Amino acid sequence: MTVSSMSRRRFLQSAAALAAAPCLNRLSHAADGLTTAPIRGKAEHCIFIWLGGGMAQIDTFDPKKRGNPKSTPKEAGSDYAAIDTVVPGVRFTEHLARTAQVADRLTVVRTVNHHVIDEHAFATNLVHTGRLISGSVIYPSIGSVISHERGAANPEVPAYMLIGLPNVSRGPGFLGAKHGYVYLVDTASGPAGFSRPEWVDSNRAARRQELLQPLLEQAPAGTGVADYEQAQSEALRLAGPGFMRHFKLDEEPASLRQSYGGEFGQRCLLARRLVQAGVRFIEVSHNLNFINGTGWDTHNAGQLNQHVLIRELDNALSALILDLESKQILDETLIVVGTEFGRPAAFDGGGGRGHQGTAFSLVLAGGGLRHRGVYGVTDELAKMPLENPVSIPDFHATVYATLGVDPSRSLLNGGRPVPITDGGKPVGALFS
Amino acid sequence: MGFLDAPPIRKPMVSPFPKPGLDENDRILRTSLRLSSLVRGLFLLIATTAFCLFPAKAANDSGGNDSDPSESNDAPVAQWHFDGADALGTWQGSGHREDAGPRPPVYPGFAAGNRAAELSGKDAALVVPDTGTENLRFGLGDSITIESWVRVRSIRDGQQVYLVGKGRNRTKEFGERNQNYALRLKGSGGKALVGFLFSSLPLDGKPSGWHRWWSTDGFSPDEGWHHAAVTYTFGKADSVRGYIDGHEVKGVWDMDGATDRAPVSDADALVIGTGYRRSPEETLDGWLDDVAIYRRILSPETIGAHYAVIPAAPVVEAGVLPPGKVLMQICEQGVPEHAQWPAAPLAATESYEEKAFGFFDIPQKYISTGVRADRANPYLLRASALIDLPKGTHRLLLRGRGAARLYVDGKEVLKTPFPPRDTSGHGHVSAQDHYLNLGPDFRFVPPGNREAWCSFVSDGKPRPVILETIVGGLVGSDGRNVFRAELGETVVAWSPEGSPSWQLLSPGPDAIPYTDVDWGAYAAERREYLDGLNRTARAAKRAEHAGYWNGRRNAAHDWLASTPETPVPALPAGYPGLNEVDRFIGARIAGVVAANARAASANIDYFREVQPILEAKCYSCHQGGKVRGGLHLDGRASALRGGKDDGPALVPGKPEESPIYLRVQSSDPDEVMPPKDKGDSLSPAQIATLKRWIAEGAPWPEFRTRRFDFTPLADDLTFLRRVTLDTAGVVPSEREIRDFLAAASPDRRARVIDRLLEDPRWADHWMGYWQDVLAENPNILNPTLNNTGPFRWWLYESLRDNKPMDLFVTELLRMEGSPRFGGPAGFGVASQNDVPMAAKAIIVSSAFQGVEMKCARCHDSPANVSKQEDLFALAAMLNTKAITLPVTSSVPLDRIHQGGRKPLIEVTLKPGSSVGPKWPFERFLAENSGTPLAEHPDDPRDRLAALITAPANVRFAEVMVNRIWQRLMGRGIVEPVNDWEKGHASHPELLQWLAREFVRSGYDVKAIERLILNSHAYQRASDPTLSEPDPLLIAPARRRLEAEQIVDSLFSATGKPFRTEEVSLDIDGARTANDSISLGQPSRAWMLTSTSNERDRPSLTLPRIQAVSDVLEIFGWRGARPDASTIRETAPNVLQPAILSNGTMSGWLTRLSDDHGVTRLALENQPVESLVDRLFLRMLTRNPSPEERARYVSVLAKGYENRIIDTPATLEAPSGTRVREHYVSWSNHLDAEATIVRHQQEIDARRGDLPTTRLDADWRERLEDVLWALLNSPDWAFTR
Repeated sequence: MTVSSMSRRRFLQSAAALAAAPCLNRLSHAADGLTTAPIRGKAEHCIFIWLGGGMAQIDTFDPKKRGNPKSTPKEAGSDYAAIDTVVPGVRFTEHLARTAQVADRLTVVRTVNHHVIDEHAFATNLVHTGRLISGSVIYPSIGSVISHERGAANPEVPAYMLIGLPNVSRGPGFLGAKHGYVYLVDTASGPAGFSRPEWVDSNRAARRQELLQPLLEQAPAGTGVADYEQAQSEALRLAGPGFMRHFKLDEEPASLRQSYGGEFGQRCLLARRLVQAGVRFIEVSHNLNFINGTGWDTHNAGQLNQHVLIRELDNALSALILDLESKQILDETLIVVGTEFGRPAAFDGGGGRGHQGTAFSLVLAGGGLRHRGVYGVTDELAKMPLENPVSIPDFHATVYATLGVDPSRSLLNGGRPVPITDGGKPVGALFS
Repeated sequence: MGFLDAPPIRKPMVSPFPKPGLDENDRILRTSLRLSSLVRGLFLLIATTAFCLFPAKAANDSGGNDSDPSESNDAPVAQWHFDGADALGTWQGSGHREDAGPRPPVYPGFAAGNRAAELSGKDAALVVPDTGTENLRFGLGDSITIESWVRVRSIRDGQQVYLVGKGRNRTKEFGERNQNYALRLKGSGGKALVGFLFSSLPLDGKPSGWHRWWSTDGFSPDEGWHHAAVTYTFGKADSVRGYIDGHEVKGVWDMDGATDRAPVSDADALVIGTGYRRSPEETLDGWLDDVAIYRRILSPETIGAHYAVIPAAPVVEAGVLPPGKVLMQICEQGVPEHAQWPAAPLAATESYEEKAFGFFDIPQKYISTGVRADRANPYLLRASALIDLPKGTHRLLLRGRGAARLYVDGKEVLKTPFPPRDTSGHGHVSAQDHYLNLGPDFRFVPPGNREAWCSFVSDGKPRPVILETIVGGLVGSDGRNVFRAELGETVVAWSPEGSPSWQLLSPGPDAIPYTDVDWGAYAAERREYLDGLNRTARAAKRAEHAGYWNGRRNAAHDWLASTPETPVPALPAGYPGLNEVDRFIGARIAGVVAANARAASANIDYFREVQPILEAKCYSCHQGGKVRGGLHLDGRASALRGGKDDGPALVPGKPEESPIYLRVQSSDPDEVMPPKDKGDSLSPAQIATLKRWIAEGAPWPEFRTRRFDFTPLADDLTFLRRVTLDTAGVVPSEREIRDFLAAASPDRRARVIDRLLEDPRWADHWMGYWQDVLAENPNILNPTLNNTGPFRWWLYESLRDNKPMDLFVTELLRMEGSPRFGGPAGFGVASQNDVPMAAKAIIVSSAFQGVEMKCARCHDSPANVSKQEDLFALAAMLNTKAITLPVTSSVPLDRIHQGGRKPLIEVTLKPGSSVGPKWPFERFLAENSGTPLAEHPDDPRDRLAALITAPANVRFAEVMVNRIWQRLMGRGIVEPVNDWEKGHASHPELLQWLAREFVRSGYDVKAIERLILNSHAYQRASDPTLSEPDPLLIAPARRRLEAEQIVDSLFSATGKPFRTEEVSLDIDGARTANDSISLGQPSRAWMLTSTSNERDRPSLTLPRIQAVSDVLEIFGWRGARPDASTIRETAPNVLQPAILSNGTMSGWLTRLSDDHGVTRLALENQPVESLVDRLFLRMLTRNPSPEERARYVSVLAKGYENRIIDTPATLEAPSGTRVREHYVSWSNHLDAEATIVRHQQEIDARRGDLPTTRLDADWRERLEDVLWALLNSPDWAFTR
């Protein structure tokens, strides 16, 4: 991870612009394809798939001329062949063969861009919160904002769930713990705090509740203790069979489970069940780094088995789209594929790829959007946007608008109004 | 002196470095063989019978000749040996003589009687005319290597001395712009840098240039000889290479910079020892030997081999060894920064004693008033003792993180290598498959340590043993980036003949077994010992400054004497009171009672109905020191006074004439309140409420009080739980409860308060608070925005020492000591922040002056009086010089002016403005009246500290006592405690009185706590119907427990050990201190920090820490603190009870493993009723009610008599199958195997320890369920 002084300086400039933002809205300046008109999409849920490490757009959704990491000298370009998708003129790499068949249900936004590349933590935070890290405010993640704005679709379940590792970027920031996530680290473990330890069966659980009863107080309403006890019975309910049954993936037909693929696919399947249960926002992390050693951060030898990761994504994403469609909830469920930055066309000394923020691909699927396969055009090596650049705030605004949240609304951090996005404008072309 | 065309063959080149392909054992043997003939005079030489056996492989090594025959083929064009032989060249000037040169055994490349030239820094010069006989001239495309051995007696910072130079002799013929080439040294930061200089020929009309290269790092002038060399190909700008002691050093060109131009090449003379002025300024003060010039580039390997050194064995005088103890010597000077041992034994800079050869830490270094500082890095640690082993053939083991070597009787017997440091993260977990396993209970080597062992024959006589290790080390050659100076587990252990087990080598009488369990106990004991040494060292440092601080105390007392005392009111009749605090509170209540009696009562309930609307919709702009439109809505009087635009905001009884009503229901976007961008409009119901309220006359009572009857004193156990939580941060132990109840004295509450204030845990309890308020924000991975150093360790020590708060603030603001390892310099860090000191100024003003300046970071604050210039003036004081406001810290004007309305914010400070150090709080204290108190008035930081803490700056003492008060009473006398512009003191006289008591006590936090804790107001029973603390303090409300209190109390109450991973992602120390730190092995919640897993890599998780952090964060703790906060969120949410019911940490606490405190309790012989009672005492600090007792007894009675299993099944793995567990650290986290290891650790963490087999499983499960119920009582979320 080298810090280029150039990117550092540019970062500081934009950081300050954002650091100064909490008290203000940004001036509106309509860019091509972005809209300032109020948009209220109709999606009810969001499944936010996270590819930690930085998915190489040029090896996935934005293929260019073939390169070669093994020749001398190495040749910049895609590491894989490109194939046609069902959308005329739109091509993905060969390892996205299944997703190519459902490309008409999605839009790859190929011109997302930012200037943070030297540090994963920074960029991860940016893509999750839509803002650069500030010295004076911890911004909420997109999941927390949507949870705050829309609550759970079913009041009996949490609004925001995470299948992955907890971290600050995914957290509620100034919105407070109430708008945090309930998380599980894999599909076998169940949600932290709501799945009982394996050694506590239902008999013991019942005995525990019985033993707890004398210690509860029935405190006067309106007091903190009363609120706490109410939360306690709510937690108990969530730990009960009603909510926990959503985690029983073995209720699904074996063929469907198989179509989703390995652990990552099972996470996506679980996400679909949680959508059906009424969870508003589910983040699904694809952090199975052991497959190629580096996960999506494909420096050096991480490139060698990158195609295995891509195929995992291909399986799970296409299965999820088709599954949601067959359950007739694709239009009300927005799928987002997020990653912190992309990767350059050129290869590093070890035959892998470094980081690139100037242009990279994020994917939107379902959610009732007017999909078009791709949006935005990059140059011949997918390095810079040529048409329709989309900033991170714009991308966030698009997601918010799809979910019926006004991206220009302000949240209150203490007394300070903080606009939900930093002047982001939705991609108008996606809303019919 | 000799000047030779060809080098003599008399000096064989001996490399101390192994040839490729030889393994570590070879290296040890080769070196030790050589040493066995070279070592002399460590102790009185005793005819030795001790020797070391090496593994067979090593014994086969020939230990053959290392001389490098290739050298003779590429001879220097000129070389000077200074050993009395004939030479070309003539000495001129004074102050040179022949003296002993580098000699064997330390410098094996030289002859036994080798001599060198000593120069005394005057004007001595060896002038060598260029006769043309030797090819000393170099032109474009020629390559040159210049090398010299040098020993420096002294060199001043900035001084540039010549070792050898050709040309630039200011002769008539050649002038002085003809430096053909020169090898030089420059003093810099106490070190000697190596340099190269030449003048280029004029080219294309450009004049001759000076091309000067200096290394960025140097060697320390010390007793030893060093080797300096430079290689360069003229005409190739980037071809320069510099070497010190055989290692390449980075450097930079300056003056006219790097060039491809040709050098001046002429017949001017070559001079050794001084420069063109022949002055002391340019003359070496030291010794020179073997200066050589080559007409080619010597390879790094060749130059490395030229610096041939066999480090001398360490020396300790026998007489200084303390009987029965290990003498520990820290050597901070002269340690080579690269991976090599010092040529000569180093002198100790500090000494202490230890018990045995088992080390993990050394005493902390303190500076100033007792502030943590860094030692030299690397430093050398030497441990010496007279060891008396029985006669026999034993085994000996050496371990260390740094390179280590072990000497017995002056002979090296064991050695571990310098650590390999690969920071890439691409190491392999499988590399850990190779390790020593030397016995059934052998402790496997911890991560990041290297080890070696041998057999050892003892004759039964006492022998001197010396261990040396080099700790820390420099990265690369280009700067100050260092590896963490951690000892890891530096150990010498031995296994007696015939024994399978190991013990620490120790001069004392007691055997200290070296096993996992015993090491834990030993380390804990030594940790305490070191803590004691550190406390003493801090006290000594503080005593050195007693003069100044006593002066400050006197000044404070003078100030008290010169200002009027705050009279303590009489306690109104019938009011409860234990001390002065209660008299203030009673008098205040009596006053309000009288006022309320006079006030007519209205139908509307102001506090329930109206105030929430004002708070939510109006107060962000219309309350506090700076308000919009001049309108304050803090109270009825200010509302009636009104603002600039509308006049009075209220006309009581007439809503339609009251602007406040008209505005909220207006549909005109320029009139409506609140403005659109400040929040949603009022709902129709809210508007109706305001209308009704105004219609009823706008009653606006000062306090919300429903009743004026005091609650009685809380019962003893309720008090004890509350006060122990508020001081020690945990619930009282069963022992503490019994002691308290057994104390008959009527003042037992006062006594327990005294005891708790002296309890070391008192410091722990304040930690989280100050970490929040001061935004302590270390990162165990790469620093990101606003990361600080881990100044938690300074904080903790300050609290342990109960530092007066004025001293505390002064140390903080001076920002001295260690930035990366816990000193207040770490507070001064705000990584990636464009103006770090502005961030610090925000923290300081809020923490100690109650002035919130957050908004002033980028513009004038819309809600506070502080302007951006005020903040930057304060920041400049912390910066000790002016700060130029960067564009990045200002809001662009075009973003402010965007609507018809007057913008909410203003920018009055233009980017690019320079703001000098200036005290911005003249309203609290005039700058010129506080400054004289400073110890160093010239230092703006010291001045600032004095201004803040001057007794005449009443605001400081008031803010401090208000913080203490808020923490103990649940609300501040002024709210919010961090931003005084927003509120008014509920008890102004009490505040003033407490502040004066604070000054009187010598700024002693404990003195104020003692006053508060001993008051009736504190000790009163809580009113369960209150949702928030009563401002008049008639009764306390139940307070939320802080996250740290919950976690620490749960571990302490259940007796389950607090066991997590080390707080580090670099447990083997492979990364540099700039990239990774370790926060050690935590024992309290405050010691944790964010696990920094933004990278979303499963191999970088810390599952056990995560399990505890989950609980902490859900209850309001922040693992990352980029900004300061005083009050945490307290609203309950569903995650809180959930994580206590089913979280991983709760699983550990409610499963009765062998090491669980309740397991031990259950094994005690006692009636089941007693077990239940004691569980209640431990968990809830109370006795069960009869019904509760009956209920839990009924669950546990069944099978109680037979609960204990006499012969528990053994859980120990059968011997012979023990394997060392794999670990994951940054160094190997990208290995696929690392993810698998972590995943297993995650599963293990979730599963927790297995339940004990000493209790019947069915009965145990019932007890676990009882324990679970007790742990889920709301008493774990709220005080009583």
